[in-house]
This record gives sequence, C-alpha cells and structure tokens, in this order.
Amino acid sequence: MDAELVDGQVNKSILELEDMVKDEHAFLGFLEKWVQGSWRWVKEDKYRTMLRIEATTLREVRAFLDSRGFTEALAPIVGPVTDPGIRGAKQATIDFYGHEYKVMSSAILYKQYLASSLDKVYFVSPNVRLEPNDSALTGRHLVEFYQVDLEVKGASLEDVISLAEDLVERVVKAVAEEHWRDLERMGRTPPQFKRPFKRYTHAEAVELANKLGCSNPRNTELRWECEKMVSARHGSPLAVYEYPKGSRGFYDREDPGRPGYLRDFDLLYPEGFGEAVSGAEREFEPARVIARMRESGEDPNKYRWYLEMLRENYPLQTAGFGIGVERLVRYICGLRGVWEARPYPKVAGIVSP
Amino acid sequence: MAVKAVELAVKIKAMLAALRGLREFMDDYPFDEISMKALKGREGAYPFGEVGTYGAAVLGASVSRRSYPRFLSLDDLVLYPPAFTPRRLEKMAELLREPVFTDVSLETELGGFKSAAPLVVASMGSTDIASRYSIQIAKAAAAEGVPMGVGENVSTVRGYEARRSKLHPSFKERVMAYLGNLDGSGGVFIQQNVEDSYDEHWNKVYSDKDLEPFIEEGRVGFEVKVGQGAKPGLGGVIRMRREDAVKVRDKYHFLEDPLTAKGKYVERYSVPGTFTPDILRGTIRMMRNNYPRAKIWIKTGPYRDVAEIIRIASEEGADAVVIDGKEGGTGMAPSAAMKELGYPTVVGLKKIMDARLGGAGLSLLVAGRLFNGAHAVKSIALGASGVYVGRPLILAAMIRGEKGVRNYIEAVKVEIQMLVSALGKYDVREVSREDVASLNQDLARMFGIPYVYSRE
Repeated sequence: MDAELVDGQVNKSILELEDMVKDEHAFLGFLEKWVQGSWRWVKEDKYRTMLRIEATTLREVRAFLDSRGFTEALAPIVGPVTDPGIRGAKQATIDFYGHEYKVMSSAILYKQYLASSLDKVYFVSPNVRLEPNDSALTGRHLVEFYQVDLEVKGASLEDVISLAEDLVERVVKAVAEEHWRDLERMGRTPPQFKRPFKRYTHAEAVELANKLGCSNPRNTELRWECEKMVSARHGSPLAVYEYPKGSRGFYDREDPGRPGYLRDFDLLYPEGFGEAVSGAEREFEPARVIARMRESGEDPNKYRWYLEMLRENYPLQTAGFGIGVERLVRYICGLRGVWEARPYPKVAGIVSP
Repeated sequence: MAVKAVELAVKIKAMLAALRGLREFMDDYPFDEISMKALKGREGAYPFGEVGTYGAAVLGASVSRRSYPRFLSLDDLVLYPPAFTPRRLEKMAELLREPVFTDVSLETELGGFKSAAPLVVASMGSTDIASRYSIQIAKAAAAEGVPMGVGENVSTVRGYEARRSKLHPSFKERVMAYLGNLDGSGGVFIQQNVEDSYDEHWNKVYSDKDLEPFIEEGRVGFEVKVGQGAKPGLGGVIRMRREDAVKVRDKYHFLEDPLTAKGKYVERYSVPGTFTPDILRGTIRMMRNNYPRAKIWIKTGPYRDVAEIIRIASEEGADAVVIDGKEGGTGMAPSAAMKELGYPTVVGLKKIMDARLGGAGLSLLVAGRLFNGAHAVKSIALGASGVYVGRPLILAAMIRGEKGVRNYIEAVKVEIQMLVSALGKYDVREVSREDVASLNQDLARMFGIPYVYSRE
C-alpha cells in the first residue's frame, strides 16, 4: 500500500490554510473581512479567472452527464422536509402559510422520486446548511453552496463510484485543457490523474489514517483532519466506500450481506483537498427506511409523503451522488478555501452579504 | 331531591378522593427531610436542622416506618462502617493531623463532565412545575458545580430562544442560566425526543453561536431518552392552552384537533419513541458522528433488558447511562403506570452493579426517589457513579428559591462527606461493596452483601 502513496503531496494552498488557522482568532478576523467585502476581490484578476473557470466547470459537468444519457431537472428549493443527513448542521426554515418548511439542504428525497420517472436525472441545486461554528475553520464548508446532485435508477454502488470517477476525471481534464494558462497564472499546476483511482473500504482508510498518525475511531466518519491526511498522500482522486452505519443519512442502504455497513462511498480529491463526492445505493424497503429513520433520531411521521412515495414506487432501487461545485472549483484552481471559490460566500457564524 | 343529595354526596366523595391522592404523595414523600435541607443548608444534615441542639437533645435512629412499604428501597440498606480504618491512617500521614469529614473529596467525573459531587440534576422537561423553577435550579446547580439535564419538549413547547408564553422561560434561557453561572466543573446535557427532532433540536444547539464556546470546552452533552421510571414505555402527556397547541399541531399527537377543539385546553401526547438494539446503536453512532464534541448520555427506565442498553452504550462509546427506577418522579403519568410498570430503584442499582462487575467503564447513574447523601453513598458503593436527582430540587426551589436549591445540594454534599469519612475513606470514589449491608434478606442476596441479622 505504502509504495503507491509516494506520488502525492500536500498542495501549497492547503499548507497556507493550515498556517492561517493556527491563530484561530486572527483567521476568523481575516475570514470575516473576506466574506463581508467580497465585491472587492471578485474584481481581481485571479478571481475573475476563477469565476470563468467555474462557468466552464459547470458547462463540462453538464456536457458529461448529458453525454451519459442524463436529464437535467429543476431543483426543489423548499419543502416540508429536507435531507437530515448533514452531519450536525442545522436546516434553515421558512414560514409556509403557517407551516414550517425547510430550505433544501440537499435534494436527495426528491431526486429519488424523479429517478422513478426519468431513470437518470440530475439537478444543479443550490443548498443551505447552517453548519456548526467550527466548520468555518475547515476551508471546506459553506453555508450556501451548489451541488450537482444525481440519481440513477437500477444502478449499483460500483456503477456510481465509476460514474463519479469518470465525471471528476473528465471534467478536471477538460477544464485544465481549456484553462491551462489561466491555472498556471494562478500558480496552480494543472492536475493530471492516473487511472485506475485507488479504492479503500472505510476500515482500510481508517487504518491508513491511523498509520499516518491521525487517530480516528473505527465506527465514525473520517474526521476532517484524517480525511485531509489520507487525501494528501495521493496524487489522484481516491474512493472510500462501505462506511459504518451511523455516519450517514437514513437513505444510504445498509448492506444486506454485511449488517452495520452501508453501500455508500465518498470520492476524495488528492493533495489534501478531501471530500469531492458523496453517494450511495438507497434504502428502498419502507420498513427498513422507518427503522433507519429512528436510528438517526428522526420522526418518521415527518417523512410521510416520502414513505408513501417509496411504497407506491416499490421497489424503487436507485443509487446516486452529489458533487459540490465550489469544492470542485477550489480543487481545480488550488484555492485555500471554498470561500474563494464562489461569489458572495457565506460561512458559519459570520454575517455577510 | 333525594337524587340531588346523592349526586352531591358522590361529588364530595370524588373531590375527597382527588385530595387524598395529593395527601398520599405528601405523606409518602420525604418532604420534611428535603425542606429542612432547603431551609438550613449544611445544618440541615442534622436533626432539627441545627448543630446548636447538639447535646441538648436525646436522639437515636428511628426504628419504625410510617407505613408498610410495597417494595424495597435503598432505605433497606445500611452503611457498614469498620472500626479499623487503615485508609484514615494513610490520610493522617498525608495531612499530619487527624482527618475530619471535610477532608473527603467529592470531586468526580460524570458522563464526561467534571462534577463537584456525585450528583446530577435530572433532565426536567416542559411541564408547568419543572418550567417554573428551572431558572433557579439551573443557577444553583451551576454554582454548586454539578451537571444538569434539560428535558424533552422544552424547546418545542416553550420556545427555543423567544418565549412561547410569558410565564415560562425558553430553552435557551434555561441553558444559559446554567452555562452562564458555571465555574470549574459541571456541564449540561440536553434531551431531544421524537417531537423535538422534528425541529432539529440538537442541530440547532450544536450550531448555536452562543453555545459554541461551551461546546468547544466540552461542557455540552446530548441525552437520548429511552424511557423513564414513572412511565416506562409511555410518552408524556400535558395539558396545553388551545392557542399554544395550534402552533405545535404538526408535531404532536392531539386527541382532538386544536384547530377545532371547543375547550380552552387540549391534551397533548408525545410518543415514547421506538427502540431496538440497532436503533440505539445507530443513534449513538449518529451522535458521535454529527456532534463529535458533545457528550452522550442515555436515560432509561426500569426495563427488563436494561443490561443490553448498558452494553450497547458502552460498546459505542457513550459517556453515561442513567437508570430511573419505578419510583422516579414525573410531571404526569397514569396511576396504573406508576403503580404497575417496571421495577424499583434498588433493582436498577443491581443492574448497574452487574454491569460494573462485568467491566463497564462508562458513568452509570441511578435515579428514582433518591434524596439524601446516604442514597448517594450506598449507590456508589454498589457500583453507580452518582445519583440523578429531580424532585427534591423542585421542592427546595419552591421552599426557598435558588438559595433553597443551593442549601439542599450543600446539605447533601456534607452528608456524603460525613458518611464517607465514617467509612474510613476520604475520596467518594473509594467506597465499595464492603461498605454496605442489608436489613433485608432478599436485598442481601441480590447484592451479595451481608444481611445484618444473620449469624455469619
């Protein structure tokens, strides 16, 4: 295993961020100024270029998915429920004629239902997650962000891992070719990947993290710190699959052959950038879904329409994933944080336009 | 005429029955002992509530009980002090003088929090009575350095930050009254029941900017409620004003729809929440994953499979399990539930002892009609990490507000110190099974401790 890791190294912008957050107070002061005066830096050459690269990126993502037979659909914005599997983040609510509605934290519940009609579907979807305050320090979390969220009827975990690998490879390659000069001017060596990408089970990834000196409990999600360390040891994206139950939302399917483990995966960017994609096969047996809802402390009553939809479409077997747009652009451009990868960024706990 | 007279007689009889319920509680519950502590503080540890009467009174242990008990309690155990106290000698060598009871250290760790005493303020919920005294209790608990729980439904019924009704403090007011007065030890653990999860209660807490410094410091925990002593397997019920009920009608079960109900009040039910071993395991994993900086507490009731709850909690890395015996307090529970469901607190303590002997390393707390220092010492001797106390604090607050609660806690602390020192030990964590004996054969057998009236 070790021999294959030598080609990776931590990107210099990641090191710069690490250095900046050492003085937490000073960093938060910097970040506050950054997000509160975003109209100033968007006019700088570097960020004008970044915005153009962002546009190319979205165009290439769409071109790739369209070439694979996907249909783009309009994303939901609000609804009575939204994705609860958002790792401690709070959902934003609005008053919908006396009823509490949620602003979409992801379109997961809706894309499954649309896959029952279109088979292969994607959204370019704006999402809001009121992340915990400490997420302001990660360089990877925005409160308002976009993701390309897709779902495929009848697909397996392996199918969607391969799809995610193809998508990241194709898009990064196309964008790098078109913007080679721009990237070099930004000080970014355009990434070049080697296929096949490495795939680790979650247990293997934890073992690797522990070996690299980042202790991570066996049954929990990879900590941000550990994920960064694992990612930093790679020169190409890598997949981590088969997460233990409890680390994901109720909709990620538990492996019927391996109770306690999920048929899910993350794709990580190399060079210390970390999570790119998160996806899974979906739980589709209504009784299983209800039990899984309780496991995540949820009230099934709240998801009545979703359970009815699953029952009427039974068996609605799908798999899919979401890929964050700002994270992708941050990776391509080699930026310090996602707060450099979009206009008017919003980070946890800081009030900004 | 005759019919009217009969009707009146029946009505009076019914009212008397209702009053009798209250009187039975007043007679049965140790009001006097708790009031004395609330009024007098440390001196409440003595008869008549003052040290001054020492030497002026003729005293001794009471040998009778007021009524014949239906089941056994911790009062059927006694502490079993030795005459020879090698640990006292060691303490003397350390202090270079004879140790006294104030030398007993009460500091301990409970469910991931440092605590100034082996005592926790139970999670009390949104009921009128718990809500009314919650601020006084929170301030006193913080000042005394003991952890405190905030029960279910508080945010949903009383409001997260802004008050839903004028008289009752919001969730945030309760939590901040505690955290804002905290010193070196203590921490707050917060329940979220099925209905609170509708509002993403824990997510709100975890991303709350005012709570962030306390979360970062490790002073915040979350408590999963897998039932309670007074009504294991049943959810709560409270009466709500109709206009308040309308605001939460999506979240709770109402027998009549608050929108169309006629009366001023409607009854609101909450569900007990469904658990299986997988659901509990999954819940703990979700919490560790989503709230890595929060402590994890599990509160459970007098269930037959409580050993499995402790095992799962321990395997998944929870910080504490609380077992609430059937005599545990409640805002409201059906009489049949209080009378018939579940086993007494002493049996919960036995489950804790078994788990401890089996190697469980997490904090294990016992709850249910525990109200004095002796209860704490006996519980710890049999394997508990501390006691989880609710009702006495409400009574103490009713009697003398925040000061009453502080007095009460201080009295219990002194009592613990006295009893532990009498056992020849100077750290509350050192008391063990050798320090207790039983007045009852069944309990002696159950705990494997000496029966005081036996020949051996």
